[in-house]
Formats: sequence, C-alpha cells, structure tokens
Amino acid sequence: MNSPGVVTPQERLGTKPEKLFLFRSCTGSMEYPGTESAIKEILKKLNIEVVMDPDQTCCSGYVLTCSGHTPEPSLAVTARNLSIVEQRYGLDMFCFCNGCFGYNTELSHILKHHPTYMKMANDAIGQWGYEYQGKVRIFHVQELYYLLLDEIRAKVVRPLNGLRIASHYGCHYLAQQYGILDDGDLPTFHEEIYEALGATPVFYKERRMCCGYAVGRGFTHAESVVQPHLGRKFDSAKEEGVELITTTCPGCNVALDREQPKLAARGFGPYNIPVMDLGQLIGLALGVDLDKLGFAANTVPLNGVLERIGLGKGAYSDGNS
Amino acid sequence: MGIHKEQSTLVIGGGAAGIEAARILGQAGYPVVLVEKSNWLGGVLNQLASSFPRWEDPAQFVEPRVKELEKCAAVKVLLESVVSGCQKTENGYRVQIKNNHGAVEELQAGAVIIATGFDLMDLSGYGEYGHGAFPNVLNSLEFEAVLKEWSAGQKPQKAPVVAFFKCVGSRDRAKGYPYCSKICCMYTAKQAGLVKDLLPDAKSYVFYMDYRASGKEYEEFVRSVIEDKHVRYVRGRPAKVLPEDGRLLIRCEDTLMGVPVEVRADYIVLAAAIRPSQGTAEMAEMFGLHTDPYGFIEPEPFEPVKVQERVFLAGSCGFAVETLGALQQGAAAAAQAMAVLNQAD
Amino acid sequence: MPREHDREWDPELIHKVDRYHLVENLEQCLQCGKCTGNCPVAAITPSYNPRAIINDVLSGSVTRLLDSEEIWRCLWCANCYRVCPVDINYPLLMMQLRYMALENGYGQKYVTGINKFVFRAMEKGLTFVPGQKGIEKIMRLRSGVGAEPWPEVSAKAIAEYRAIFEQTGAKEYMENLEKSEQRPLRMSYREGRIVNE
Repeated sequence: MNSPGVVTPQERLGTKPEKLFLFRSCTGSMEYPGTESAIKEILKKLNIEVVMDPDQTCCSGYVLTCSGHTPEPSLAVTARNLSIVEQRYGLDMFCFCNGCFGYNTELSHILKHHPTYMKMANDAIGQWGYEYQGKVRIFHVQELYYLLLDEIRAKVVRPLNGLRIASHYGCHYLAQQYGILDDGDLPTFHEEIYEALGATPVFYKERRMCCGYAVGRGFTHAESVVQPHLGRKFDSAKEEGVELITTTCPGCNVALDREQPKLAARGFGPYNIPVMDLGQLIGLALGVDLDKLGFAANTVPLNGVLERIGLGKGAYSDGNS
Repeated sequence: MGIHKEQSTLVIGGGAAGIEAARILGQAGYPVVLVEKSNWLGGVLNQLASSFPRWEDPAQFVEPRVKELEKCAAVKVLLESVVSGCQKTENGYRVQIKNNHGAVEELQAGAVIIATGFDLMDLSGYGEYGHGAFPNVLNSLEFEAVLKEWSAGQKPQKAPVVAFFKCVGSRDRAKGYPYCSKICCMYTAKQAGLVKDLLPDAKSYVFYMDYRASGKEYEEFVRSVIEDKHVRYVRGRPAKVLPEDGRLLIRCEDTLMGVPVEVRADYIVLAAAIRPSQGTAEMAEMFGLHTDPYGFIEPEPFEPVKVQERVFLAGSCGFAVETLGALQQGAAAAAQAMAVLNQAD
Repeated sequence: MPREHDREWDPELIHKVDRYHLVENLEQCLQCGKCTGNCPVAAITPSYNPRAIINDVLSGSVTRLLDSEEIWRCLWCANCYRVCPVDINYPLLMMQLRYMALENGYGQKYVTGINKFVFRAMEKGLTFVPGQKGIEKIMRLRSGVGAEPWPEVSAKAIAEYRAIFEQTGAKEYMENLEKSEQRPLRMSYREGRIVNE
C-alpha cells in the first residue's frame, strides 16, 4: 500500500555507507559508459568503496514490462542477482538506473509478498547454490547524493556558474511508493543538488512527464506516440530557457538525448538541449577528469555548457564533431 | 434516591455540539462547566460564510446561543482553557482545568461530554495538487475565509475561475483515509454556489466522483446550485495541478465523456478529509476512551453517544457530522448526562 | 456493436487476466479518472483510456479489449499507479492483459521485435546489445573513459541466465510467439462505437 512514503534520506538510507554494491545497468554500461565512470569517480572522492560483480546479469525487467515473456524468468533472475549481493557481500545495493531500480524493487517486492513465487524462484536458482532471502536493501545513487549533499557541496571545485539546469526525474524511481525520498508529483531534491553545485534550477511545466523510453519505445511507437509526447516535454523546457537537462536513468538519457535529432526531422523543435546523467553533472562540479565523464557518447553536443562553467573549448574530444 | 444536581457536568469544547449540550443542561438547571480552548464560542461555525441547506448565516445562530449561555445561572463558561488532567473517582472524574495564564482550577464532574470536534487533514502529501506549494490552492476552511472577505465587499478585480476538488484525503486508501467525510459534498455545493452569488461573472467548477446529498432538503440544495446558480459539475477526480502563467492548470478526466480535459483556474479549493482534532486525540488519551482506527471516539455498541460510564460524545469528535447532527448529538449527550446524574445510588 | 448484453460479460475475466495475482484490488476502483487525467498517452490518444479499460475488465467485457490497439499504448510510466487513491497497479494489469491478447493471437508484432534482444541477452548477459557496428562504438566509448572495452559479465552468469530462460519455458514461449498467427488489431475504443453511418 502506498503511504505518502516521503522520508528523509537519513530515514531511508541510514548513515553514509563505507562500501556499497553497484548494480551494473545494461543501457548505462553500453550507451553511456561515462555515467558509470562518473559515479565511480564521485564515490572515490567521497571515500566510498565500490564493488561490482561480473556474475551479475541484466535485471531482465525491461522486456518483461513489454510483455515479451512471462514473469517467471525475471523473478528468478532478480532473485539470483539479489542473492549474489546478499550471500557474497552483505552490502546495500545501489542502482544507477531508474529502470534497474524500479524492476528490482518491484520484482523483489513481489517475491517477498508471494511465497509461491519466492519458492519458484529459489527452486530455479538453487541448483547453483543461490538463495534469495529478501534481505538486501535496494537504493538508487541519487538517494546517496542527497544524503551526502553537504559533503558534495563542500567538495565543489568547478561551481556551475548559474547554469540553467532542469530536472528529469523519470518515472521508475518516483513511482515506487515503497519508500522514496520525495513527493512523486512535486519532487525538489534534484533541484537542491543543482543549487549546491552552484547552478540555477529551472522548473518547467512538463518536468514530471515520462520520457516514453520504457515501453513506448520498446514497441517502436516512436513516431505515433513517443515523439509527439517528447515534443511537448521539450517545448515546455525550451520555453523556460533550459540549458541542460539531467537524468538519473540511462534509458531516459537515451530517449531525451538520442531522440532529439529524430524529433527535429519530424518538425518538433529543434531543441539542442544537452542531456547528461546527474552523476556526470556532479562529477563535473567535483573536478572529475573530463575524459572520465565520457561526453563523447552524447548525441546532442554540450553546446557550450563547458565554456559556461569555465572549461575551455576543445577540452575534450567530441565523438560527434 | 436523590437528584445529584449539585454534581457538575463538564462539557469539553465550545462548538455547535458543546453549546447545545451546555444549553440543554443549563435550561434544566444542571450545573455545567463549558471549557473552550479559544477565546470565543461557536467553533468552526464562526469560520463559515454561509450554511446548508438554507443559506443561513451561522452568526445568526451562534450569537443568541452565546447570550443564552451567558444569562443562564447554571452555566459557567471557561474560555482560553483546556482540561489538563483527570482522575477517575467514585462519582465521576476529578479534572484539572488550566487557563492560558497557567492557573488551574479543580472540578468534580459527575458526567463528561466530549465535544472537541475535528481538524482538516494535512494535505502536504498531495504533491499532485500543490497545497502549500502553489499560491491559491486552499483547503475548504481557508477558502471560507476568502468567501468572508468577498462577502464583506473585498472582491477581486477580475472575476475568477474557482475549481473545487472533492474527496481529497477521503475515500483514499493510498495516501488518505478510506472513509467518506460526509459533509464535503454539501459544503462544496454551498461554497461553489456562494461564489456565483457574490461574483456573478465568476465561474465555479466542482470536480467530483459522486455527490452525496442525503438529508432533508439536501438534494434540492445541490440541484439548485447546479441549475439556478449555474455551477458546472465535472465528474472526475483531478489528476494534477500545474502552475501556468500565474494561474493554475488542472488535468483531469471527464469520466462521463471518457475524455481527458484541462481546466484553467484562479483558485483551487480542496475538500480535505475530516480528521479528529488534536483536542479529540488528547481527551481520548486522557480519559482512556475507546477510539476507532482513525482516531474518532467510539461509543459503546448500540449506544448513540455513550462512550463509557459517565462519558459521552457529541459532534465531529465521533465522526464527521453536519451542524444539525452536532446539535442533535449535543442534546442527546445532555439528556444522557442528566440521566446518569439522577441514577439511583 | 449497438448494445452490450450481460450474456457477453464474463464474471471470471478479472481472474483470467490477473493470472499472477498482482492486481488483486481491482474492484476497489472508484472510476474516479485520476489515472486517465494524468496519463501522458491519454493526453495524445484520447481513445486510450485506462479507466475505461479497467471498467471493461471489471464488467467482464472482452468486446473491445483483446483485439484493441489501445492496450498496447501504455508506456509503464506508472503515473496512474502513483495517483490512484486505491493503489491499483495498472501497469501490472496491462502487462497481464497483453499476455491474454497474445494468447488469442493479437499483438505479436509489438513483442517479437523486442524479444530478439532477449535472445541476444541469453548470449551476452546484457539486454539491448546492438549489432557489430554498435558494439564497436561501445567499445570505443568505454575505452575512452578508461573502462574495460566490454562490460564484464562472466560466462557463468551468461550460462545461468540462459538456463533460467530455458528452464522456465520462457525461451520456448518466445519462439512460439514468433511462429504464431497474427490476427488484425483495431482501435477498438474509437472504432468500436460506430455502427451504422
């Protein structure tokens, strides 16, 4: 049952972890490797040890939600991944993709509340010695940033000079009502992070609108549904003079970044609003080496964002120029 | 058998229900002490710009009652006072009543009537509506204050669009309470109709799932608001409010048509769920009263107002109720108090 | 279809749809319309109406449901779930409704395209692995940030992932979907109302 599950980061996460398990995101590690690398650099600066495991697989949630196959394999896959974290590390698990976070949370919730499914999953994975007990806590790195906001603020070396940044929270984090950080309709914690980095948060009317990447793009409704929908979102951002949009989901990042030229071809915009992961933004402000931030993966070029914050032109190699 | 008229009845709460209970007891010559935490009597009635179903001014009801209580020798009214402690005794309760200067007086009460009323639910959990975040998104009592301003002549320059959302926090198992708060359909119709009376060029929309008008003259009242005062009722619970160009954009579905709609408004009035007041919670704990899972004081099975020996409830501390019901319960509680004060030794 | 008859209503439909017991509170629906008011797809395609779809499932009326285009429009943004006053997990209802449509030969075209990525995931342990040129670009970008050229997923993990899909019958399910006969879909919530013109 939903309760207004808005809690403080302290209530949700507890204290700053010394070590955490980072869940690999398929889309993140392939489309935007800079996201994963930025997060690792940030956590290094915050003195948090990061553990990943090559035995972790895709969460398999995306195609499940497209009804590509029935839930049994995804429940077993989730149980397997989570049991790896439980059995080998005993650490909290952090995702950097709203999708991974959402699917793992939803599927683990189903496993924990339906003993028949838990048994089915554990029977399926027991052959390799895995057993999921429902103990591991699942979080998203954006929650950690907010928990450690004061520390991050103190470590800013490249303040963002009032850059006008707008948030895209995405859907799969705030739709989870099993304990989230902020109100699902009126969240403000990303905006607080921008302020801490010296940027100007911009509110635009369609800020809470979905990116459409989830199932919409999966069904290749790109033309008839996702594109007009994204067009409305970007029109609203453009009206407010947004210079940059951040995401906390590589899936959203693909939608907002890679669809822009296609939108332009269909007569929406043009927008030319660069999009990056919130981790890459924080990494910029904390002085992480530009190469490690991986902006070469971006479809929409950064459009002078780096110059605005005092980093000269040509400071990185743009794979698109 | 003696008539224990000397034993006082303590009435906690000076709203409609408390006033009625004190009045009936006083008329019959039973000593009453009426304790009220604010410095006026009448409770929520004083905040209302009008009333249903007859559009009467609540002040016309409250003022004569207050005078009657002042003149009644048996009634002692203690304003700016609260019950700060109580101990069960053989013949009732020994209570401590503390006033706002910190002075405490003791009272031996043979019967206690709890009439501590309700509060509106805190709506900060409804980010989709923005109460507390966007200007001009008000709860129903906050809007009564606006209606009072408009009635007093301080009208807005441009005729506004006022949108009323019913069932905010009520009939809501997700973020609110599953129950229906009973009075909101009626008071919303009243508020929406009053807007049109005060500002004929204004527009009132009421967004509803149902309208519940079960009472004498209630259905006629709502129909007259729709048909004679031209308030537009749209069936659909609003999904989202967004600020836009200094106004408020409402996204909703007109479920009777099956079409999503957007409506622009200047004021949004949220009919917040009725909750037991802070005072109700405190008295329930102090007297060890049985409450339901939502905090409303529960009477004993098959008893209309008796909560436990010598303790009775009246008004919305027991559940949401309109003024007439509060008065009826106040009178019933007074009668029960008289009965207990007269019972055989 | 000019008028529906109760003999067309299947009182067991809700149980047939919610085969995984994930949406057990559907009868709590108040038909308030908050879901549809907030739905980004309904805003563009009004004939896609989550509340109306729930109503049809509750009445037991499949007339419009199974062969509809509309049920394939839900994006899973879960805005509906977030604002629903009784917490109906509508996306999970849609997921299961789509299974039922697929069983009846409707909608495979939406699913078989994306399933090819699942087959590839059984070889790579990652979903959305592109073709060769895409793989090369990924390796370049990853080396650029100083990561190993390909995300490290162990052979053991891939083998176990594949085994799970095979042993739960999902691989066979997906292969059958590709071979099954596809029946035509229509915008049943828009067209379904027009009878005689």
